[in-house]
Amino acid sequence: MSRQKLLEVSESNETGDSTMGEVFFKRFTFNQLAQHWVMIGTFMLLVVSGMPLKFPDAWWSPVIINFLGGFGMRTQIHHAAGIGMVLLGIYHVVYHVFVDKESLLERNVWPTLKDAKDFWQTILFYFGKAEHPRFGRYSWKEKFDYWGAFWGMVMLCVTGLVMLFPFAAMEYIPYAYVHLATIVHTDEALLATLFIFIVHWWNVHYSPEVFPMSKAWITGNLSEEQMKHEHPLEYEEVMRQMQERDERLN
Amino acid sequence: MLSAGKSLCSLLKNKYVLVLVIAFFSLITTVSAQEDVSCYHCHTKVVSEFRNNIHYQKGFTCEDCHGGSTQPNATVISYTVMSGDFIGRPTRANITNVCSKCHSQEAKDYKKSIHWEQIAKGHPEAATCTDCHGIHEIRAISDPNSSSNHQNSPATCAKCHSNKEMMSAWYYGIKTDRFDTYKESFHWRALDKGYTLVATCADCHGNHNTKSHKDPESTTYPDNLPGTCGKANCHPDIKFDAKIAAGLVHDKESLHTGELVFNKSGMNPRMRDYFLGPFDLAYWIAIFFKILTTGVIGIFAGMVFLDFLSRLKIHRRW
Repeated sequence: MSRQKLLEVSESNETGDSTMGEVFFKRFTFNQLAQHWVMIGTFMLLVVSGMPLKFPDAWWSPVIINFLGGFGMRTQIHHAAGIGMVLLGIYHVVYHVFVDKESLLERNVWPTLKDAKDFWQTILFYFGKAEHPRFGRYSWKEKFDYWGAFWGMVMLCVTGLVMLFPFAAMEYIPYAYVHLATIVHTDEALLATLFIFIVHWWNVHYSPEVFPMSKAWITGNLSEEQMKHEHPLEYEEVMRQMQERDERLN
Repeated sequence: MLSAGKSLCSLLKNKYVLVLVIAFFSLITTVSAQEDVSCYHCHTKVVSEFRNNIHYQKGFTCEDCHGGSTQPNATVISYTVMSGDFIGRPTRANITNVCSKCHSQEAKDYKKSIHWEQIAKGHPEAATCTDCHGIHEIRAISDPNSSSNHQNSPATCAKCHSNKEMMSAWYYGIKTDRFDTYKESFHWRALDKGYTLVATCADCHGNHNTKSHKDPESTTYPDNLPGTCGKANCHPDIKFDAKIAAGLVHDKESLHTGELVFNKSGMNPRMRDYFLGPFDLAYWIAIFFKILTTGVIGIFAGMVFLDFLSRLKIHRRW
């Protein structure tokens, strides 16, 4: 994504108002937002329809299954949402590798040495031993979120397809490996669920900084204040580029 | 008392009350007359159970199984009941003979089973007709309350097969975790939540003629598994080959006991491949995810907590 696209200035419609409108910073494209919405929808359906089977003896297991309309319906919901998530994963990789024009290596999403340093500095900050690290476009937490979801998608989609088509899978692998898929699938799903509900939701919902939520997942925008707080390095970079462009134009 | 008797008399003079009283007693008499199983007077509990029996509903009586001669509608049972061919309680080895009077094909099938093999060897506690079908309360197989109903099969088999004392008898030595390992399958998890179109014990192991999985004629003998899983109502039109046999449905010891089978010498090649391959892998995968999940969630939940604390200390971070 080119830098110019990062800044969207929505000018005030009110005539006679000479002050500039509020400035928004483009955080996610509509494409990315839509992917995230599909992800939310399929993920929640999968968690609700899958966890009663991971913990069949829990008191809430039959409650949820009855709520979903019985075991057969639970299975159909899980399979449909699962196929939706597989398609989303394929779309994501195909789009961002082949369609997106940006060079693969120059993306901000790759982990860097700075992220490791930031991670350590964040811990020091929590104990009052350091300043809070200043993040660029993606903080180490966001990168961990992304790659955690990426790894989880690969694991869950592959093992899920093996379990959805066990007899097709058995053309290539023994039955015992199909059984292994159930272990990998459910354990990985539990990890993903805990991570999303505890860590991701803290960062984007519960945290006093954003409570009740960061609206970036709906609008795709960050306010200038949010930008200065959460991504100061990116903010400075955008401002510098703006200035350069202005100077060039003048 | 006098006044009470007096009022009762005057009450009975009311003809509506009189009709009600007569109706009540005639009803009682009619109901009592339907106690046509004469043994009921002494064997109350047994006969009560028998009234739920499919045989009772089809018109059979006690003597059809127990022999002897009972006179229906007799109010007092005479000792002549126990005359003639009265057999009382058949011995466990003899139960089959009683049932085979009518169910000859089932008895013939049963006599090919490992259960009968054990009874014939002199171990009468091995399963016979009544252990699966019930004794006096034999219900139709299609009855959901029947112990032989498809969906009740796991609990019925578990009566003996989860019984440690029974299974550890030196001549059996059968594992008692069969139901527990079945519980980890999708078949059970679906069945447990009311989805009954799944395989239970008898669907794979057969019912009357169930055999050891080591018997080449058994439905669970490895070479026969493709046919067993590919039955018309289960997984038809699917290509099965030896790969289905490379996993043992119940055997998940490494996961189940949390112990690795380190000593693999003396195992047959199939078992050795099995434990060297995927099932030790299952153990390690489970450990891997335990560490990964507690590690990741522990570290990040800790960060969330520290993040929260840091907000208590300073109003604004930056």
